Amino acid sequence: MLGRRGSLWFLAVPPYLWLVLLFVVPLGVVAAISLLPGAGRINFNAGWPSLNQYQQVLETPAYLRRLGISVGMAFVIAATATILAYPVAYFLAFRARGRATIFLILLLVPFASSYLLRVMAWKLLLGREGAINWVLTSTGLTHEPAGLLVYSQAAVVITLVYVWVPFAALPIYAALQRVDRSHLEAAADLGAGPWTRFGRITIPMSLPGALATFFMVFIPTVGEYVTPSLVGGTDGIMYGNLIQDFFTRAGNWPLGSAMAVLMLLAVLVLVLLALKLVDLRRVAA
Amino acid sequence: MTAPAGARGAGRAIGVGRTRVPLGLAYVLMIVFLYLPIAVLFVFSFSTNTTLRFAIQGYTLDWYAAIFENEQLLTAARNSLVVGFLAATVATSLGLAVGIAVVRFRFAGRGLLIALAGAPLVVPFIMLAVALFLLFNLLDVPRSMFTIAAGHSVIALPYATLILLSRLVGLDPAIEDAAMDLGASYPTTLRRVVLPLLGPSLLSAWLTCFIVSFDEVALAIFLAGGDQTFPVFLYGQLRFAQTLPVMIAMAVLLMLGTVTLTLIAFLIRSRSE
Amino acid sequence: MPARPSRFPAWLIAFVSAALLLAACQSQGGPSSSADPSAGAESAAASVSEPNALTVLEWSGYEAEDYWTEFKAASPDTKVDFQFGISDSDILSLMEGDSTADIFHFYTGWQQFYVDEGLVQEIDTSKLTNWDKVPDSFKAMGQVNGKQYFLPWDWGFTSILYNTDHVNGEITNWDALFDDAYAKHISMWDDGPAAVTTSAYIHGYDETAITDDQLASIEAEWKAQKPLNLHYWTGEYVDFCPEVQSGDIWVAYAWQGCYATVLYDESQPIAYANPKEGRNSWVGLYGISSKTESYNLALKFLDDKLGATSCGNAVALFYYGCANQEVMDAITDPVLIQAFGIDDPTILEHTNFTPPVTADQRKAWTDMWARVKAE
Repeated sequence: MLGRRGSLWFLAVPPYLWLVLLFVVPLGVVAAISLLPGAGRINFNAGWPSLNQYQQVLETPAYLRRLGISVGMAFVIAATATILAYPVAYFLAFRARGRATIFLILLLVPFASSYLLRVMAWKLLLGREGAINWVLTSTGLTHEPAGLLVYSQAAVVITLVYVWVPFAALPIYAALQRVDRSHLEAAADLGAGPWTRFGRITIPMSLPGALATFFMVFIPTVGEYVTPSLVGGTDGIMYGNLIQDFFTRAGNWPLGSAMAVLMLLAVLVLVLLALKLVDLRRVAA
Repeated sequence: MTAPAGARGAGRAIGVGRTRVPLGLAYVLMIVFLYLPIAVLFVFSFSTNTTLRFAIQGYTLDWYAAIFENEQLLTAARNSLVVGFLAATVATSLGLAVGIAVVRFRFAGRGLLIALAGAPLVVPFIMLAVALFLLFNLLDVPRSMFTIAAGHSVIALPYATLILLSRLVGLDPAIEDAAMDLGASYPTTLRRVVLPLLGPSLLSAWLTCFIVSFDEVALAIFLAGGDQTFPVFLYGQLRFAQTLPVMIAMAVLLMLGTVTLTLIAFLIRSRSE
Repeated sequence: MPARPSRFPAWLIAFVSAALLLAACQSQGGPSSSADPSAGAESAAASVSEPNALTVLEWSGYEAEDYWTEFKAASPDTKVDFQFGISDSDILSLMEGDSTADIFHFYTGWQQFYVDEGLVQEIDTSKLTNWDKVPDSFKAMGQVNGKQYFLPWDWGFTSILYNTDHVNGEITNWDALFDDAYAKHISMWDDGPAAVTTSAYIHGYDETAITDDQLASIEAEWKAQKPLNLHYWTGEYVDFCPEVQSGDIWVAYAWQGCYATVLYDESQPIAYANPKEGRNSWVGLYGISSKTESYNLALKFLDDKLGATSCGNAVALFYYGCANQEVMDAITDPVLIQAFGIDDPTILEHTNFTPPVTADQRKAWTDMWARVKAE
């Protein structure tokens, strides 16, 4: 018969093994492959491990610029999604009363629908013969279609904000629910107006939730490659597309690995910086 | 997920001096913004247009009928179901193990386990996709449904862990102590006492993981090989204008399916909490 | 709570172990062990023991039974599975790696890699009933070192497709892709070697011997051209042809499939250039894996693909040419005649086939394109 401590082994070892095998080891493999000096697939006979691939990436300004652009786009997308989601989450937490649950479900349903199809839907809306231009011309607002709105950096940003916004409301909503109502009442009793209470109490107390939201959108977006390949055009190409190309088109896995490692490092540095600014653990508490 | 009991009264107290910011309008606009594109797709799945261009020329149910003649499409949908099932089952079991271990035990490596279980959230999908792609290549594991399911179990694990952890924290350990005082072993206590109490959360976690896996495309593209899931198949089929309306019809059907699952997951969770 | 849910952990554990087991079995069933590169055509004799199943490494879309109708009718019990690649490089990678495919499909320019790496075995053309319907010029595409390693199947042209409402006069030159009068209405195919080929035509470079200096100037040229594109297209019918039909793309690097599509639906006034440097032509080839245990079945599959129905469907549904000349000769549809240039007896005289290049060249060209895309 297993005691409590014996059960612990049974509980903790399988997830540890699974995560080490399918998460830690693979990330190590990428790092190892990125040190192979040769091009092409995995070739251990190409020579000693080296930083050749990193050198090649760092000596190509276009790659680094694209990484910068992708980080910038992800920042704009995550910030926009957070800002758009905030008033909605605020409404749910403070104004929706008993209907909060049903309103929340209504908000989350689109997030459960097909990602690819939501991207396709935006192609439909933004195209020359898409819904937006169709409405504009058929209502006589414009005579000529306003041109193509799809295939641009802006189209990638709009589409990804759309994809993430419902999800973004969740952590903010959770944080706002934890805002202590008695603080707000006390502030009101002391004569603080609604805006003061919002700025001094609600905002600071919900900041960790907002920041969690920001990163839950920012991190996957930095490495995004599916949406830009569908609506990005030539200026919407993201760093993730370059990585994908090195694996599926250009067939240069070590270089692709080095580019992926550099991206992960950039993301982790930014996350750590943010953790310095706000104690994210308060969100989990 | 319902508002805490105190919220109602507090809301009124705040209401005394609240601003006239039309937050309800913000919510309504958001809902319109979210549903409009989906509505457009819905309309196109019934339209006779063969390309995705306005205006609508006529209405038909042919695309829905054509789904059932497209064997590849049905296979892809079936693959997605299998992958989702495996990934959700593995992720939920592991998430449960992590949850119990972390909430009920103090041990060396506890913090690391929490960090590891949440870590897939801070790694961009393409990184994990590339990593697993290389791993399976090195190990000579052919890409298949099982490699996709393995990948999805990793990205779904944080969701399962979070959902189950939050429920376990709220469970009074005294219940378990009571069961053990009555002579039950710890595994028996977990099975007969803790799991039934967790039941709804388990189902909700499983459904969440299933949905995460079912719709996932960035990892699946790298790990699919011959066994295409529906999103991977769709991504490839987007090349062929002739089949696009059928794909949209299929996606609308699956969308209704996942939406129903989401609603169930959500209702179960809000009723149990 | 009733007692039933208490069985949950046993179930969960069973599922996890089942998943693990299945994954492990999969990995053991890998392809490598059975490989015997020396098997070659001799394995034909061992047909009795061949498994009644085929795996085909294909491009998405080609798996439809329309393109292997005869085989399906003749061998309804044979299990045919498909794996998919998304580019020629991907397909080569898969064949070098974990693919269990008996048959693979790729395009001109990649033949020698399969031969050099021992991934393909010779085709016994004496066993093919439809072989005499294939023109010699196509047969030659599948030959390396004097041996018939590949079977040609689909083919087509690459040239410049343009909208005559927006382009004044006739386009007679590949450099129309670089004309800033069409800014944001141009679309190039997302492919490095294609970019190098185009530049080679324009500047008269020898495609098989591009120097470093030439490659540097090609890179600069395409970087400068990048802002003129609406996008780099990847799928003929998803992000390319719809944009031609809607009138957003005026000038593009294109295959004849979209040309025929637009001629049919008359959505735009369209023309397909005969550049003075010549059009490009591509041929899709099938090879039989050196690892296959079903050589004869694979041969039968390929022979049947050359049949009138399967080949005819490539023409009718994809608007691609097919290597069965009887099918091509039977075309009467004026749109297809125009699309394939059947009415122009000199068409092949001003058509360039993609020449084979070395792996190093190909790498240099794809790396160059990655830098252009990142720019």
